[in-house]
Parts: sequence; C-alpha cells; structure tokens
Amino acid sequence: MSTAQAALASRRARPLLSLRARSLLTGYLYLTPAALCLLATVAIPIGKAIQLSLYYDVLFKPQDYRFIWFDNYIRLVEDPVFWLTLWNSFVWVFGSVILQFLVGFAAALLLHQAFRGRTVIRTVMLLPWVIPGVVVGLIWQWLYQPNYGVINDLLMKADLLHERVAWLSNPDLAMGAVVFTNVWRGIPFFAIMLLAGLQAVPDELYEAARIDGAGVVARFWHVTLPLMRPIIVVATATRIIWTFNYADLIFVMTSGGPANATQITSTYTLLQAYANLDFGYAAALSVVLLLIMLAFTAAYLRITKGVEETG
Amino acid sequence: MNERWLLSRRRFLRTLVGTGVIAAADLPWWDAPLISPRRAWAAEPVRFQFSVPEPTRITLVTSLVERFNQSQKDFAVEVEFVPQAQARQKLISAISAGSPPDCCQVWDNWLGQFQGMGALEDLTARVQSWKLQPDVLPTAWQTVTIGKQILSLPLSITLDGIYYRRDRLKEVGIKEPTPDWTWDDFLKIAQAFTKPDKNQYGYGMRGAGTWAVLYPSEFAYANGAQVLKDGKVVINSKEGVDALAWYMDLALKHKVTPPSAPTDGFVEIVETFGRGVTSMYQHNSGSVGQQKKNVGAENFATLPVPIGPAKTRASFYFSETVTAFKGARNKEGAWRFMSFLLEDEPSLMYCKTLGLLPARKSIVEQPDFKGDPALSGFLNSFSFAIVSPYLAYPGWGGKLDSDGVPLIQQAIVGKISPKECLDKFADILTKNMA
Repeated sequence: MSTAQAALASRRARPLLSLRARSLLTGYLYLTPAALCLLATVAIPIGKAIQLSLYYDVLFKPQDYRFIWFDNYIRLVEDPVFWLTLWNSFVWVFGSVILQFLVGFAAALLLHQAFRGRTVIRTVMLLPWVIPGVVVGLIWQWLYQPNYGVINDLLMKADLLHERVAWLSNPDLAMGAVVFTNVWRGIPFFAIMLLAGLQAVPDELYEAARIDGAGVVARFWHVTLPLMRPIIVVATATRIIWTFNYADLIFVMTSGGPANATQITSTYTLLQAYANLDFGYAAALSVVLLLIMLAFTAAYLRITKGVEETG
Repeated sequence: MNERWLLSRRRFLRTLVGTGVIAAADLPWWDAPLISPRRAWAAEPVRFQFSVPEPTRITLVTSLVERFNQSQKDFAVEVEFVPQAQARQKLISAISAGSPPDCCQVWDNWLGQFQGMGALEDLTARVQSWKLQPDVLPTAWQTVTIGKQILSLPLSITLDGIYYRRDRLKEVGIKEPTPDWTWDDFLKIAQAFTKPDKNQYGYGMRGAGTWAVLYPSEFAYANGAQVLKDGKVVINSKEGVDALAWYMDLALKHKVTPPSAPTDGFVEIVETFGRGVTSMYQHNSGSVGQQKKNVGAENFATLPVPIGPAKTRASFYFSETVTAFKGARNKEGAWRFMSFLLEDEPSLMYCKTLGLLPARKSIVEQPDFKGDPALSGFLNSFSFAIVSPYLAYPGWGGKLDSDGVPLIQQAIVGKISPKECLDKFADILTKNMA
C-alpha cells in the first residue's frame, strides 16, 4: 500500500462525525422544516402575544404605546367582568361537553345496534356537526325568537307555555339556551367517536361476560366502559379545548348578552381587541386563556398516561 | 403575391359594417352602462371597501362603480364588499398591517378611532377647492370634522325619528299624533298598541348594538340632560337618571316592549315592526324603504322624537361617509371616486334607493325627499338635531359597545337601577376621555 492510499484509508476510517452523530443530525435535518413551520405559526405568535400583553397598546392612542410590565394582568385580576366571563366559560364548556357526551354516548349505543336504515340514520345524525357554527347560530337564533320563533309557537300550541319566553333575552335563560344549541351541535361528534370505539370492542368479551351471568348494566360497566376509556378521554379532552375557544355560536346568537350573561372569556377578548382596540389587554386575556388551557392539557396528559398504563 | 392576404372589396365592406355596429352599440354606454362596460386598460386601480353588503346596496354600489369606471379612463375602482359585522375589524387589521384600501365607506363614529390611529388622510385642502363643497350641509361637514381637519366625505346624513303604524292607530281609535307630540302622547299610544295576547307591543325598544345607548340618550336630552357639560361627563345627572327611569319603565312597568327587547338589535327592531309585532320603533331613515315593502307606504309614517318634560328634544345626527387613508396607494383615484359619489345623479340614486337623506342641500330639496311622508319625521327633526355627543372622544366609540350596552341591558331587565347604570357609565366615559 502506498503512502497516499494509506492516508486515504485512515481518513475514511475517521470521519468528521461519528455514525451516531450523523444519523442524529440527519433526523434533526428531516425535522427542521416542520419545526420551522411550528416556530413561525405557533411559537412566534405566542411569544408575540406574551410580549404584547406587557405593553399599553391601544391602537387609537399610538402616542401612549409603552412597556407597562404586568399592569394588564393586574387590571385583569381587578376586572369583575373577566371573572364573570371565566365562570361563564366554565358553565359553557362543562355544561356543553357533559351533555354532549351523555347524549352522544346514548346515540352511539343506539347506532351500534343492528336495525333497518342504520346507515341513513348515521348519515343524518352527522348533519348538525357538518353545518358551519355561524349558520347553526343563525338558525337557532330564529328558532328561539320570542315573537315569531317556532319554539315558542310549538310550546304554546301544545299548551306547555302561556306566555312567550324570551329565551336569549332573559339573563337567567340565555346561557341555558346557547348551551342547548351547542349540545345539539356537538352530539354527532361524540356519537361518531364513541361508535368507532364501540365497534372496536371484541364481541367475545360480551359473550364471556354473558356466560358469567353479567346483565346489561354489568356488561356495560365492566366491559364497555373500561375498554372505551381511552377514546372517552381523548374525545372529551379535545372537545373541552375546542369549546373553550369556540366563540362563533355565542357571538352570533347573543354577542355575549344580555347584560354579559353569556359573555365567555374568548368573546370578551374579541370585544376588547376589536371594539376597544385595546390589544395589550386583549393579549393579556389571551395569555391567561393559554395558561388555563396548558394547565388543562397537562392534567389531560397525566390522565391519558394513566389510561395507557392501565390499558 | 399570395392572394390569401389581399383584402377583397366584400371583406373590406363586411369589416367596416361590423366595426360600425360594435361602435354604435358602445355609444349609449352612459344610459345603459351594463350592456357594454368599457375597459380602461391603462387605468390605475383604486381599492374601495364597502361595508354594508345587503342585496340592494351591493347592486347599487356595483352599478355606481361601473358608472365611474366608464365615465373616465384614468382609474378603475375595484370594490370589495365586507359584512358590516367584520368591516371595522378588517379595516383595523389592514391599517395595522400598513395595507388599507384606497378608500372606504365608514360610519362617522368610526372616524375618531381611525384618526387616533393616524390612519386617515386629511381632505381639508381638497374639500376647500371642491366645486360641491358649499352645497353640502354644514351639519354634514360637522360629522366628518375632527379638530379642524375634514377626514371624510358625507355620503348621506341621517337622524333618529319614530316610526309608527297609521293603520293600527285607526284600529285603536287614536288620532294621528302631530310632530310636537310629547312623552305622555308617546306612552299613551304605546299602551294602546300593546296587546300581549295578540303578540303586539307598542314600542320596539333596542337593547343591542351601539344605538341601544344612543336612543335613551336622546330621551335624556328631552329631559334637559346632557352627556358632556363644561368638559365633564354629566349623563348621570338627576335629569339623565329620571329620563332613563322613564325609558326603562316602558319595559319594566308599562310592559309596552316585546320580551326580546334586551337583545333586539337593528335587524330585530326593523323586523318586528315589519311583521306587526311592534307598532312603533326608533330608528333613522335607513329602514324607510324596507318598511314600505313590509307594511306598505300608506300604513306607516314617521315623527320626530317626542318632546320631553324639559319642553325640548334632540335627535343625533350621524352620517354614512366615504374616507381615504394615509396609506392609500392611489390617493388621486380615491378622491376622484369619492367626489364622484357626491355628484348629482350618484348622490340622488344612492340616497333615494336606500331611504337616506342626501348630504347635499340641492338634492335634499328635491320632491323625492321633501315630498315623501315617510321621511317627514326626519326632515322635521333638523331644527333640533345635534351631532352625537359620543363622537367627542375616540375612546368612547368602543366603550359604548363593550361597557355601555351591557349596562343598558342590565337596566332593561331590572338587574341594576337607572342611577347605578348611569353612574357606572359616566365613570367609564370619564376614564376614557382621551
């Protein structure tokens, strides 16, 4: 072997990066485009919102734009409407999701049975979910209309009502009315998700339980529910996050009224940003919403981890 | 020589006739501009945002834009229709991003905030040398002037009056009220109109949107109250509180308003009147055209707002305007189009079609407006009309919606007293006097 060949061999034997480092680097290189996209669309906007929340930024007062530390957060803590909207958000989210889940689960159990026209029913069942939120809001606004809406009309014809009820104009009824609409809209989501879960439960388990003498309730409690837990957790958590940020329905139906009775934190944020042009305060509200959702997601991840382990 | 390229006499004559037919079809473009719209290939584009897209307005504005584009060849207006609910947000985002349209239709109560953002083009110099400037009503100029700067061109002006059903008055056996009617007359008629068992109510009170605050404020002025006095907010004076209490009693005590009042906005008050649920409502002349279709021109009329205990009254002026932005790419084109909209024919067509009052004196005097009984309530209000006091500070514009409306709604449902409502409202206004 010549000297030159020997030198080449030694260079080949000792590359600049080890094989492990190279494969690691290659992996990261493949990830780079996705990471850059996430950075541009998620991390930077969040960072920008956090930065904005520390400024006095009212668009029609550009001369007053300044860094104010945590003043927007202090204002938020002292703002009684914020606390009201937080409570309203809680009622809106959990009222909607719990009812959607219960009715959706019942619908899934029904759709899981074999009967004639099941495919048609399944398709029709999806309709409320397919219709855009704004359209749903407009439809239900008309249905609830106290003067010429069909709900009052039918209830009065059935002799269940003697006076017209202002469903969306009465502060005691408005939240219930919008939650009902959201439940109507969200039932198909749970029905389809849970139906998929039900179809994955092996029939042998039901047969074995039946042989062991388990009744309908026992089979549901000891076979269906435990096997459905992962999908229930995922569907419920996803829906809670969506509903928390879902402002379309309330915005269209009541605009947060009457008297803030249906004002949730996301519609309040919108109001601060686009009615008052107070982008600093709106950003502080968004950051708090983000923190609440992060806390919820952390709890959710813990629960799902537990489910996977037990599963 | 290749004979295929030789123009025969027959072919030449055919071409000549064909060209003549095309040219003749294109000649009467002004009378029928939609038949053969001209295309100005070298025209500079002018971006125009129009923010009240309902079918009538869309057709009307499209036609006006096409007329403008055909009347000259230097500029070509491209109109973008935006739903009213999103119009302000869209403009704010466009201004913040440094890319506003060249010109835009806006309401005068938006101007304060946009001026605060430093976004509006000062039109004062152009207006002062404009041939139509003296013909525009001085009050119309007031609605678009901030400081000493004219920031917009008023397309139409309007003020609030009371719509009422004439046929229902005959049914209940009450005489037609006269323009000098009072709060007592108003209440008496509202009570006579109210028949809850028939789903009929006397007054369509507005509980949603900015005007849910403005309408009771007009009643407050009829009781001698004011929003601002000597630089201080005084809407919560005794006169203001008493007026609001009287106004709220229409819903709480006399129950002459429909149960939906706390969330009834513009669409609802107009619809409920059109469907016969209510027999009176307060609004500007903008719904005259709709009510002519809904209840028939002979079945309704309009009156000025009633005279209050202070033997006075006020109706707030506001205007629909067209404005230009500092960040506009084509300022000259924007001005040419804006000023075109105020010329005789476009102005007449715009206001006549939409039931609005023209901002130009010579046009408002025409029989289309002066002779229409449905507009008499508004024309009779000019003598006591004032520019909305809520235009005083840009910070008040958004606060009316975010804080004023929920407070009024709480008062309508009786959750807070009129005094509590006005004290809180005055506090919010005072904090935002900037």
